[in-house]
Amino acid sequence: MQRKYYFEDFALGDVRDIEGPVVTKEEIIEFASRFDPQYYHVDEAAAEHSPYGGLIASGWHTVCLCMRVMCDRYLLNAATLGSPGMEHIRWLHPVRPGDRLRIKLTVLEAKISRTKPDRGSILHGWEVFNQDNRLVMTMEGYGIFSRRQHGPAT
Amino acid sequence: MTTIKYYWEDFIPGWEYESPPRTLSAQQITAFAREYDPQSYHTDEEAAKSSPFGGLIASGWQTCGVAMRLMCDGYLLQASCIGSPGLDEVRWSKPVRPGDALRLRSTVLEQTPSQKDQGRGTVKFRWDVLNQKGEVVCTITARQHYRRRTPAQ
Repeated sequence: MQRKYYFEDFALGDVRDIEGPVVTKEEIIEFASRFDPQYYHVDEAAAEHSPYGGLIASGWHTVCLCMRVMCDRYLLNAATLGSPGMEHIRWLHPVRPGDRLRIKLTVLEAKISRTKPDRGSILHGWEVFNQDNRLVMTMEGYGIFSRRQHGPAT
Repeated sequence: MTTIKYYWEDFIPGWEYESPPRTLSAQQITAFAREYDPQSYHTDEEAAKSSPFGGLIASGWQTCGVAMRLMCDGYLLQASCIGSPGLDEVRWSKPVRPGDALRLRSTVLEQTPSQKDQGRGTVKFRWDVLNQKGEVVCTITARQHYRRRTPAQ
């Protein structure tokens, strides 16, 4: 199947700015009830007495919301072969109900596979900001992509 | 609120918890992926057959979510955890397929008292997610902050 984005379309230093969603209270509670039901993610009244002084989103929820916008922006149109993993995930500032997220993706590394020259690995730096331009999360993630041209590794 | 059973002091290096298994169905895999990670090998059983994975696989983030939930049910909701500054590493080493029964093994790697707050400390964990064959499908290295039972002197 022909895709729009291949390994070659992610050049070192490329930046993609993506508008993210507004995070609602209902969504925060719903996600956390399923995956991370710590009281400061699910119980508004109890959360007021937490170190955060109110309800905050599970860090996993922030990651998942970013994953979704990344899918919509380009990943669903890319020759992706999955991801081996992520590194240096930092939850720097709480995400609260009503926050509007923005994601800045930067290509930090682009490497053709030595064992499988038809593909390559892209390392993306993720920076997630809220509506006040405050950095709420950073992360580095690997993605494997098919090459447009199946030449030998150079 | 729940009574707290585990404080920072309890998470000594080598401390280990292993959860009961939780099975992930095809319906759960596609429902999660439609919301957060709608790549075709996570959402579409037919399309997934011609993917590099040869069939439907769970989003890696769902595996993380299941691990987190197993941890909450196992001990975290009874612990003095006040959040996490982040994860050093997440590795998805094997695909998770419909019907796989996942369990969490949580191991303490390091226990560090806070420099600036005598009432808390940090614990570094390794969280392994295993399938029914005992294969590690995901490994996470994470840090969490916990309140101490007794403040440092």
